[in-house]
Amino acid sequence: MTESRANSLPRRILRTIVVLGLAIICAIPLYYVIVSSFKTNTEMTQHPFALPQHWDLTKYQEAIADGSIWLAFGNSIVVTFFAVILQVAVGSLAAYAMILKKNWLTVGMGAVLTIAFCIPVQSTLLPLYQMEGAIGVVNTLPGLIALYLVDSAFCYYLVVGYMRKLPMELLEAARVDGAGPFRIYWQIVLPLIRPILATVVVFQTLAVWNDFLRPSVFTTDQSKRTVVLQVYNAVDTFSTDWPLFMAITCIALAPVVVFFLFCQRYIVSGLVAGAVKG
Amino acid sequence: MSASASHAQTVVKPRWRIKPEDRATFFFLLPIMVVFVVLTLVPLLSSIYYSLTDYNGFNPEYSIVGLKNYATIFTEAELLHSLGFTLLFAISTTILITVLALPLAVTLNKAFYGRSVARSLFFFLGVPAQAIIGLIWRQIFSPMKSGIINQVLDLFTIPPIPWTSDDHWAQFCVIFVGVWMGTGWHATLYLAYMQAIPADLYEQSLIDGANSRQQFFHITLPQLVPCVVVSTFLIMTGNLKIYDLPYTLTAGGPRNATMTITQAILLRGTGQSQYGVGSALAVVFTIVCLLLVTVQQLVAGAVQRRFE
Repeated sequence: MTESRANSLPRRILRTIVVLGLAIICAIPLYYVIVSSFKTNTEMTQHPFALPQHWDLTKYQEAIADGSIWLAFGNSIVVTFFAVILQVAVGSLAAYAMILKKNWLTVGMGAVLTIAFCIPVQSTLLPLYQMEGAIGVVNTLPGLIALYLVDSAFCYYLVVGYMRKLPMELLEAARVDGAGPFRIYWQIVLPLIRPILATVVVFQTLAVWNDFLRPSVFTTDQSKRTVVLQVYNAVDTFSTDWPLFMAITCIALAPVVVFFLFCQRYIVSGLVAGAVKG
Repeated sequence: MSASASHAQTVVKPRWRIKPEDRATFFFLLPIMVVFVVLTLVPLLSSIYYSLTDYNGFNPEYSIVGLKNYATIFTEAELLHSLGFTLLFAISTTILITVLALPLAVTLNKAFYGRSVARSLFFFLGVPAQAIIGLIWRQIFSPMKSGIINQVLDLFTIPPIPWTSDDHWAQFCVIFVGVWMGTGWHATLYLAYMQAIPADLYEQSLIDGANSRQQFFHITLPQLVPCVVVSTFLIMTGNLKIYDLPYTLTAGGPRNATMTITQAILLRGTGQSQYGVGSALAVVFTIVCLLLVTVQQLVAGAVQRRFE
C-alpha cells in the first residue's frame, strides 16, 4: 500500500518537479558560462541570463587564436597519459608482488604503503621543489609527471583488493606449466584485472587532468602550462574580457564533459572502491 | 624466509639462498619502493629536519633553532588564520554536504521522470577541476554592483553584498561552492551503497505497515551508517587539503580570511623565504592528517562491528 502511494503518479510528478527544479538551479552557473561565452562584454552585463542575441563565435576564435590553448591541451594529454600509465604500472606490479608470496618484504611494504598513503602531498611539496630544482627538472613535463607517481599507492590499494579475489588456481596452473612470475603477471593477471584497471585509469585520469596545485607550483614557463593552469592564467591576462574567459573555460571543460558522459560508470566505481579503502 | 613452509628445505639448501619467488617479489616491489623513498620518505625527513632550522630556502648557511618555528605557527596571526579557515572549511563542508547529500540520494533513488539526467547532473558538478569552478564562481560572486548575484538581488531591491571582498562573506563563498561541488558527488556514493541494501528489508516493513519516513529512519539510515562514516571522513581528509578552490575563488583573501594551510606552506616556503616555518607547518599538517586517519580507522572498525 505504502509503496504504491509513494510511487503514485501525482507523487512521481511532484518529485519530478522538485528534483528537476533543484537540478536546474544548481546548473545555472554552467548555463551562465556557456551563454556568456557567446556574448559581448556589455551584453553579458546587461542581460546575464538571456540567451545571446547572436551566437557569436568571435570569442572562441580569439581564445584559440594564439594557439596556446592547444599547446596546453597537448601538455595536459602528455602529463595525464604518462602519469596514469606509470601509476597503474607501479601500483599493479606492487599489488602482484603482494599476492605472489607472503614474506617479510611484502608484509613490511604493505604496512609502509598504508602509512605512505595517508601522508598529504602538501607536506612534501617544498623539499620536492628543491630536489627537482637541484636536478633541473622544474618546469619540465617529466618533472611534473614524476610528482604524480605518489598516487601509485592509491592504485596499489584499489588493485590489490581486486587481485586477492582472483582464482589462484589459474596462476598456479601457469606456474606449473613453467611460466615465470612476470609472464604470469603480463599474460594472466593483467587481463583478469581489467575491470579494476579501467576504474583506476578513469579515476586517476580525472585526478591528474584536474590537478592545479602541482602545475601551479612546478611550472612557470608558459609553454609548459596544463589546461587548468592556462585557464587560471587567462583570468589574469584577460581580466576585463569575461566573455573571452568564458569561451576558454568552455573549451577547457568540453573534453571533461565528453569524458564524463562516456566514463561516468567508472568514475562511480572508482569513487566507491576508493571509499571502501578509506 | 620466516615462512614455516620453507623450514624443511633449509636443511638441504644453505640458509642464505634466496628463493626465486622471493626475488620476484623484490623486483615487483622495487618501483613502488623507489617512488616511496624519493617522493615521500626523503622529502618528509627533509621537512622535519628543516623545520628545526632557520633555513630560508636558498642560503646554505643556516643554524638549528630548535622548536622556534613550531612556536611561530601558533603565535602568528596569518598562520593561525590559515589553520582556522582550513578547519572551518573542512568541518562545515563535512556537515553540510552530509546533511544535504543523504536526502538528495534518497530522493534520487525514488521513481521520477528524468531520473538519470538529474543523477548525472548533480554528480557532474563535482567532476570539473576545482580551480576552474573557483574561477567561474569568482565571476558570479563579484562584489561589484554589476556582479551577477548582486544584479539578481537588485531585482528584489536588496543592496549589493560585498561577496568576495568581505572576510566573512568570502569564507561563506568558498564553503558554499565547496558544498555545491561535493553534494552530488557524495550523494552518488550514497546511491551506490543504497543499491546494496537488501530489498526484502523494505518488503518486510511494508507488511508491518511502515510508511516511507519510518523506512528512512529505521532501514535506510541504519544501513547507510558505514557509508556515512566513510563519506564524512573522505570529505574531512580531502577538504583539509583544500587549496585550488579558495586560491582561485578568493586568492586567500581578503586579509587572509580564506587562507588555507597549503597556501601558507607554499607562501612561507617559496615566496617569503621562511622555509623553516613552512616546513614546520607541513610537519604539523602531516601529524594532523595521520591522527585523523587513525581515528577514522578506529571509528570505521567500531561501526563495522556494531552493524554486522
